[in-house]
Amino acid sequence: MNSSINDAEDPSINYSNLLVGNPISRRSYVVDRELVRLYKLAVQDKSRLLTTGSDISKVPLAPPMSISALSLRGVVNDLKIPGGTLHVGQETEYKKPVAIGETLHCEATVSSNNVRGEWRFMGVELKVTDSKGDIVMNGKSTILLPVKSE
Amino acid sequence: MSTVKQEGDKLTAICKEVSRQHISLYAQASGDFNPIHIDREYAENSEFGDNIAHGMMVAASISELMGVNFGHNWGETGKMKIRFRHPVFPGDVVTTSGFVNKVTQIGEKTLVQCTVSVSRQTGEKVISGDTSVTLTKQ
Repeated sequence: MNSSINDAEDPSINYSNLLVGNPISRRSYVVDRELVRLYKLAVQDKSRLLTTGSDISKVPLAPPMSISALSLRGVVNDLKIPGGTLHVGQETEYKKPVAIGETLHCEATVSSNNVRGEWRFMGVELKVTDSKGDIVMNGKSTILLPVKSE
Repeated sequence: MSTVKQEGDKLTAICKEVSRQHISLYAQASGDFNPIHIDREYAENSEFGDNIAHGMMVAASISELMGVNFGHNWGETGKMKIRFRHPVFPGDVVTTSGFVNKVTQIGEKTLVQCTVSVSRQTGEKVISGDTSVTLTKQ
C-alpha cells in the first residue's frame, strides 16, 4: 500500500530509540464471551464456534484470528501508533487452541526498525502464551509509520 | 468441514460487504481507534478520501476460510503469511478465496499448503498470501 498522509510520529515516543529486541508491550487479557461475540459480529464470522473437551464438558474456542487481533492491541496502544500508520504485512502461527475464559499474556518486541524516505519500517514480533505458559500464537507484523517531515 | 486436500482443490469462498458499522465494531473489539478507520472527516482529508477497514478485520476472513475448510487443525497448527496490498472501503464487497497448491505427507501427518487472497468487487486483490495447516490422521 502507498500513502503520503501528513501525520507525524508521536513526539512522546522516540521511535529511533527502539532497538531490535526492545519490548513494546506486555499485556494480559481474559478472552471472554463478550469479546468473542463483538469480534465475530465485526468480522461477520457466522461459522459455528469450534469446541474442546468431551461431549458433556464442551468449551467453546475463540476464533484463532481474534487472538491475533488481541496480540496487536497492546502494540497499537503502547506504541502510540500515529494516524496514517499502515499495516502492510502479517505472519501468524497458531500453536494451541484458546478456550473462551482463558487468560492470555501478549508480548510484543521490536524485530526491525529502519527509516526509508518518509516512512519508518518497523517489524514487531508477537508472542501469546496462555495461563499454563504454553505458547498459543507467534507472529510478526510489519508496519509503516509516517516520519515527520523536517 | 470439507475434505479439501488435493493439489488444485479450491477452498469454499466467503463473500462479505464491509460497512462503517462493522469497522466501528472492529475498532471496539481490537482496541484500534486509528482515525483513518473511524474518523470520517480525518479520512476524507487523507489520500484515501474515506475511512478504510482495518487490515486485520479483512484478513479475518482468511482465518475463517481456513477454519471452515480444516476445522480444529487450523487453530492448532495453522500458519499464515499475508501482505496487505490495497485498502478496503465501507461499501466494498470482498471475496476471500484460495486453493491447495501443495500436499506433503510427513509420516502420519499431512501438510497442506494453500494460496489465499481477498479481492474487492473490482477484482483488485487487497490481500494476498500463503497459509498452511497440518492434518493428523483421525
